[in-house]
Amino acid sequence: MPENEEYKEVGKSEFRSYCIALCLSKKAVLRLMFATDERETDNCFKIYAVFSEQGTDIFHIPFFKLREDDLTFRSITDGIPAAHWYEREIMDMFGLVPKYHPDPRRLVFHDSFPADSHPLRKDWEISEKDLKEWGEGMVRKVPYDFLEVEGEGVYEIPVGPVHAGIIEPGHFRISAVGETILYLETRMFYTHKGIEKHFEGMSFHEGVKLAERVSGTSTFSHSTAYCMAVERMAGITITEKAKAIRTFLLELERLYNHIGDIGFLCAGTGLTVGNATGSKIKERLLRLNDRLTKSRFLRGINTIGGVTKDIFLHADDISLTIDTVAKEYKGLMKLLLGSVSHIERLENAGILSKNRALKLGVTGIAAKASGIDDDIRSSHPHLIYNKIFEPATFTRQEGDVFARMMARAEETKCSMHMIKTIIEGQHEGDLQVKADDIPPNSHALGYTETPRGSVFYWVKSDGEGRPLRVKLRSPSFCNWPSVPFAIQGNIVPDLPLCNKSFNLSYSGCNM
Amino acid sequence: MWLKILKNLISRKEAIRFYKSKTQTLKTLTDENPGSQIDVERSADQAPSHEEQNTLFSGKEKMNRVFGKSLKIRQVDSGSCNACEWECTALTNPIYDIQRFGIDFVASPRHADVLLVTGPVSRQMELALKKTHLAMPRPKIVIACGDCAIDGGIFRGSYAVKDGVSNAIPVNFQIPGCPPSPTVITEKLLKLMERI
Repeated sequence: MPENEEYKEVGKSEFRSYCIALCLSKKAVLRLMFATDERETDNCFKIYAVFSEQGTDIFHIPFFKLREDDLTFRSITDGIPAAHWYEREIMDMFGLVPKYHPDPRRLVFHDSFPADSHPLRKDWEISEKDLKEWGEGMVRKVPYDFLEVEGEGVYEIPVGPVHAGIIEPGHFRISAVGETILYLETRMFYTHKGIEKHFEGMSFHEGVKLAERVSGTSTFSHSTAYCMAVERMAGITITEKAKAIRTFLLELERLYNHIGDIGFLCAGTGLTVGNATGSKIKERLLRLNDRLTKSRFLRGINTIGGVTKDIFLHADDISLTIDTVAKEYKGLMKLLLGSVSHIERLENAGILSKNRALKLGVTGIAAKASGIDDDIRSSHPHLIYNKIFEPATFTRQEGDVFARMMARAEETKCSMHMIKTIIEGQHEGDLQVKADDIPPNSHALGYTETPRGSVFYWVKSDGEGRPLRVKLRSPSFCNWPSVPFAIQGNIVPDLPLCNKSFNLSYSGCNM
Repeated sequence: MWLKILKNLISRKEAIRFYKSKTQTLKTLTDENPGSQIDVERSADQAPSHEEQNTLFSGKEKMNRVFGKSLKIRQVDSGSCNACEWECTALTNPIYDIQRFGIDFVASPRHADVLLVTGPVSRQMELALKKTHLAMPRPKIVIACGDCAIDGGIFRGSYAVKDGVSNAIPVNFQIPGCPPSPTVITEKLLKLMERI
């Protein structure tokens, strides 16, 4: 078991008070909460919560057992609001019911999915008829009640799931008075593909491919976190060179995402030249990806035990491209910060307060823009980040769209600097180490920082060394619940702008 | 005669008779050449057989007749990982600039000639996809873009997906790749339009 994971079994009734005490006394943050079906070995379900303590590289992981005679547990959402979606997800996927949950509606499954059907249970089966009805969506088996705002002059704008642009599907209901948004209700999980269940049907080595396809623009971070989890579980230490290549590609991924996002924000304010410049620079970086790895989205590089290609052979190409990008990026920022009409739209739009962000467990760019120094690269150093990463000092206090853009800009600078440092350094070792033996009945956590925030994988193997449970948590899953709070009180035309500033993945969230 | 009508020199009755005679000759012309007419009356629910799929839109003349030299695309994500979407977005950037070929992405299915579907069709998205397909005016082309849209790809066999777009709506054209690069998408679209 990896050193920085501290598991502790607590009683079912003490779980809630234990978690709350952890949050209060050690200023711990809830990173992840999930259930497992271990009825075959331990004759029970288990619910785990992963907390990371601030200031030290330790994950506190309290868990408790649930016997089949009583499948309810006391919800912790009233004490730790960040657990809100996790508990609803556990309810849908395992049928374990959080008692006194403030919002006990379904999260993952839509109305036509049969009641009392929970896919992540090991003995789960579904009939062809139910599957067909689920797809047709005509029979509403468990109706979902949207929250409605009542009052004089309140009207509702339903949007989606098919939107006007080239984006992913999601349903929004905007309750507004005049131009001002009173409340935004989101209905997600249109792109639910059953990825966690699908992992269980593959071997750990095949799973890398699936992890790469959880969220398109965070391909490399997801596969790194997954490989890291499996390697930690199997006790494999990868070489310095593989670590350096992974770190390098993580930063390259961050770079193309952030520059693309900064440019994409301009599409929300109608500054076409900014959008065009941003997408031009992004394209330059994607082509660099293609030359380095034969994949524009960095697929097929990660493997359990290391990486498949030595990208440092292209060091000249890399430094030349990064120099050009740095120059063009400087021009883009000069253009954007000099456009008063653009900046005025961004300032004071979509404010997410620090207090709310803390309570909801927001991560990544959104957290940094709201004054929270949340970066798993500095709080839990992995790969070669402890050598090259300077602890983040670029948090901003405003929490608005502009702050999120500037947080991206600061990270971009930081990434460019790190990329140069890695290329200049010497990295010894082979690309891969042997990783054939996966130990049975063991588990571990893998994590890294995607362009959107921290990503977590928790893997557990069964008696034959195949996956028993793979839990993934993309940053979008914990950031989506904060979007309605940020949008409250803004005008309707600013909604796409606020949404773009978070730039969350639907696919990563819906799994 | 046209000038006379325009200048109101002849009576209304005469003008109508003239119109009718003209349209009749047009009709007889097309009746003699049934091959040049496209099957626009096909119902949306009737899936064309495999052979029909290949012949339905073949021939440069037919494509030009039906769509002129432009193609309006409505893109729908039916559960993809978002990589295909970014490649479609990249098509409109200054480097690929797909608008110069007369191809563009439109906001409403009612304005679209082509439905470009990405993703393996998740069951929760199936109904929305079918409704979008129904909302399109005929004739309509459906393109499955990306490996998972073609046969489910890596997600094949999962309980929550339909293993490809062809299991939900009839597909006319496929663009393979995971994700297909903008160059590949452009090339395939131009091939579809019989431009190359």
